[in-house]
This record gives sequence, structure tokens and C-alpha cells, in this order.
Amino acid sequence: VSDVRPLGDGWYLVTEGGRQWRVAIAGDTTATWVFVDGQVMRIEAPTGRDRPPGKGRGDGGVMSPMPASVVAIRTAVGQTVNEGDTVILLEAMKMELPIRAPRSGRVTALHCAKGDLVQPGVNLLEIE
Amino acid sequence: VTIRRLLIANRGEIAVRVIRACRELGISTVAVYSAADADARHVREADAAVAIGPASARESYLNIDRIIAAARETGSDAVHPGYGFLSERAPFARACEEAGLIFVGPPASALEKMGSKIGARALMRGAKVPVVPGEAPPDQSDKALSEAATRVGYPILVKPSAGGGGIGMKAAQSAADLPDALNAARREAKASFGDDTLYLERLIERPRHVEIQVFADTHGNTMHLFERECSAQRRHQKTIEESPCMALSAAVRGRMGAAAVAAAQAVGYRNAGTCEFLLEGSGDDARFYFLEMNTRLQVEHPVTEAVVGVDLVHAQLRVAGGEPLPFAQGLISQRGHAIECRIYAEDPARQFLPQAGTILLYHEPRGPGIRVDSGVGQGSVVSVHYDPLLAKLIVSAETRDAARRRAIIALRNFAVLGIRTNIPFLLQLLDHPDFVNASIDTGFLDREASAIAAAAPTELPAAATAALEFHRTDGTRHHAPGTPGTPGTFGTDPFQSLKGFRV
Repeated sequence: VSDVRPLGDGWYLVTEGGRQWRVAIAGDTTATWVFVDGQVMRIEAPTGRDRPPGKGRGDGGVMSPMPASVVAIRTAVGQTVNEGDTVILLEAMKMELPIRAPRSGRVTALHCAKGDLVQPGVNLLEIE
Repeated sequence: VTIRRLLIANRGEIAVRVIRACRELGISTVAVYSAADADARHVREADAAVAIGPASARESYLNIDRIIAAARETGSDAVHPGYGFLSERAPFARACEEAGLIFVGPPASALEKMGSKIGARALMRGAKVPVVPGEAPPDQSDKALSEAATRVGYPILVKPSAGGGGIGMKAAQSAADLPDALNAARREAKASFGDDTLYLERLIERPRHVEIQVFADTHGNTMHLFERECSAQRRHQKTIEESPCMALSAAVRGRMGAAAVAAAQAVGYRNAGTCEFLLEGSGDDARFYFLEMNTRLQVEHPVTEAVVGVDLVHAQLRVAGGEPLPFAQGLISQRGHAIECRIYAEDPARQFLPQAGTILLYHEPRGPGIRVDSGVGQGSVVSVHYDPLLAKLIVSAETRDAARRRAIIALRNFAVLGIRTNIPFLLQLLDHPDFVNASIDTGFLDREASAIAAAAPTELPAAATAALEFHRTDGTRHHAPGTPGTPGTFGTDPFQSLKGFRV
């Protein structure tokens, strides 16, 4: 059995098994974040309202894991790529980030160009 | 002080740090900002702020003409470049000099001499400062570079000649790895410095990175302020820095300090700078090699401030204004131990990918021996455009172990929500047996970082679940700064919710 006391500004004092913990919680539309003792947990919001429809993960799509800018495109529509090939070179925070083909196949569409700023969760190209 | 109004040509925690020093010295401050930083902390804390361009650093924080114009418009008489961006660019220092502005840093001539790694090495050899074997062929073709690499010997490090901060540095274990290393280094060098001249250097295996803080004034004084040990670095990005270095004997420390002073004198250095050395071995038998000189204030300068008991930014501003150094070699000493942990917006669980997003909740630790230098706060938007350093935790205590324990407790009380940080990783690192024994070299994190990241707990204590349940069921929006499903709200902050509030 635990006792929870809100301290304001997202902080809670939790008493459990004779020990007190200070827990912080904050959230936005996509997730709720919890902090305790230097550790952080992110819990996805149950609804998928914020995700662009039809642009989900999988189905031959290739996505950036983070907001980044496109430095180079190493393939073209119609070209065949092998799994593991670097197809797009991104750069974020001064670091190069190679995007590799998740599987072998033919590139059917390119959704970005050199110099573009791309967002996570959006397909950069499609492999058939 | 001579300086009356200072423009800070930087952003983030270092801009905030310089603004604080100015406030203490009665100097008025001017911040500059890109379109991405209009709401940034350094803008809010300065006495005045000038927009200098779009988010891209090339068009804002690297735009010399725009920054000089901002200094003129605001009647500034001096410019502090911070670190990174334009801080080590001779043309910027020269542009300031030509515009009649005091550049808070070394003269352009010293930046030029140290900015070229090739020229710097030749100068250091002349000054009898030991250097690592290496060369930069005037012919920069792949063929000439590959021949040079064979002469220097593998493993080899490919570095942008104009670079710093580890950007564009690539290792090649053998000739087979060289072409990839050359291409990647060239590309990053061109993108970051606008100059793709490469420098090849013998990779000394398992060295420590030990650097000496130096300072020179315009009255003929050049001195050092002891060392900082920065071996805890991942892909050449420093993670934890400390002082003193446990591997240095008093004799070697003395010789390194003297070598650093000789290096500074050889280029007519002025103001604050750092000589980086590689240290091979430990104790009286250790050997050191000059690596390069960082001709600016370092990210990790607070470590020196903590153990020596000085304010390096105050000293920078005084010396730039023509005053003599406020401290003397014979009167300073190292006391206790200091450790700095860099808080980065990166996800250790996903190959340390840089993170972008909004900080929903932010709380810094406080207490004796704890200092936090930060450039963000609750509500700050961390963008993809600049480097991922959010804050620095600097702790000091009587001994290394006491400082290490203090750092752990402080990090456990450092809450950042809304964006992943490396705090869980730092907690594991501070408890790693090799860190506890102070026996790490510069390759340690490249070998161990994934294992250390994987050792972080994946589950939170049950107390977190209890708090979460309470948060979800009981009047959530009265207590939390953000609420799932309500975009952009920051709950109970009266300054955001009160309408028509007058002061």
C-alpha cells in the first residue's frame, strides 16, 4: 500500500514500505514521462491521433529516427538496393547518421531531397 | 573593467555563463539569436538581444558580418565568442579588431598559428614541446594522403586541419579503412569548417587525454592553472572531466605545465586557452605529447574554477580590457577534487542518438559543492540545429571519491522530462569499477559505452507506478505541468493561465 501526496509542479511524494520517493510526472499529446531517482520512463499515449495517417512504420518505408537534415541521397527511384546499403545520409547536431535499407528491393518512391529537414515517423523513401 | 557593453556571439549554457559574469562586473550584455532561439534562455537573461538570422548556424551564429553589425547597432565595445561557432576563427577575431571591438580571446595571429594543426606542430617542435608523430601533406589527393599514412604508421587518426571538438575525426586501423575515413572526414570538415584540408596523426593506443589551462595577459605574464583529465569521451565528445588527474605525479604535472606555458608563449598567446596532451602511462614514467591548443574558453572550464578557486570568465574580461592577470603562478594551488558531467540531449539506449523536443519538466540539483551551468529550462525547445549539450553538473569535494559520490546523488536529483538525456548513462559510468579506480583511457567509452548504457535499470521503482496512477485519476491538471491529450498546456503556472494579470 502506498501513499501519494501531490507537491505541485508535477512532483509527488510517494511513501511506500516506509520509504519516501520524490516522483516527477509531465506529459504532452504523445507521451507521459515519469522521473524518479535519476531514472526516466516514457509511456506512449494510448491514442494515435498525432500520427500522420497512412505513414506508419513498416511496409517498406524508411524513416529517420529523429529530426535531421538530408546530406546526401545515395539511391534513386527504380534502383535496386541491398539490405544494409546506406540509402540516405542524414546529419543532426553535427553528427552524420547513415540510413540503411531495412531489406533488399527496388526503390519505388523518394519523399525527400538533399537539404530537406526531415521529421521522425515520416517515410523518406519506399522499397518494394 | 574597461569593457562597458559586451556582445556574446554564442548561445546555450556558455552564453548564460558569460552573461552572469558580466552582471557581476557591471558590464551590460547583448545576446544574439537565430530564429530557432527567439525564446531561448540566453536571450531572456541578457540586457538586450538581436536577431541575427535563420536557424541554420551558417546563416546566424557563423555569420560574421551580421554579428559585427549587431555589435555596432547596440553600441557594444567588446565581443565574447564562447566556444564552438566563431570562437577559433581568425577572420572573426580580425573583423572585431577592424571594427574597433575588443575580442575576448587571443589575437587573430595566435588563432591563425594554432588553428592550423600543421603550423602548430612545427611551432611546438621549435619550442621543445613534445608532439605526436604525424603529417599533413601539401598534396591532399587520396594517393598522397595514403602514402603519408604509411609513413606515419597505422593505426592512424584523420583530422580536419581546421577542426576542433572531435568533429570530422576518423580512425583507420589499416590501409583498407583509409578511403572511407578520408571521405567522411573531408565531408564533415567541409560542412563544419568550410575547409577540408586533412591532417594525419599516429593513433596512440590507450592514452589519457590531459589538458592544461593556460592564461596570458598583455603585461608579459603567461601562466598555467593545472590540468583537467578528460579521458571519458565517446567518439571524441567529452562526457566527464575532472581535476586533478590521478595519473599525474607532481614532477610530470610540473613539466606539462611548463610545456603548456612554452606553447602559449611560442604563439604570442593572450587570454584563456588550453593545451591538450595525450598522456601515455602514469606516475613519474608517464610521457606526454602535445595534441593541439584550444584557443578559447573550454566547456569544462568550471572544473578548474572549482579546484583552483578562480573565475576564468571574470579574468577573461579583465585581461581583454588590458588589466593584468588577477592571479599569479606562485599563489595558486589545486584544492580537493572536481568532476564535471555533461548533460546531453541524447538517448543512450538508442546508440546515443541526439534528441530534439520540448522540455516539459526541468529541475536542477542544489547543495554544497554543486554547480549547474545550463542553457535550458522548463518549456525550452531543444532543436536539431545545434549541439546537444543542455547543461553541465560540476561537483567539488575534498577527495575524488567524495566528489564522485556527490555527483551521483546530484544526478539522481536532476529531473529532465520530455526529452531523453544521458543522465541514466552518467549514473552507470560514475559507478563503473574502471571509473571508480580512475583507470580509464580515451578509448574506454568507445569500447564500453553500449554495455554501460545497457546496464541502466529498465524499470522504475514501484513508487513511480503509484504516482502515475494518482496523476491519471486524481485532478491531473491541477498538479502536473503537462497533461496527456491537451496540447501545449503547462497546467498551473499562474503566469500562463491568468488573463489580464497586471503587476
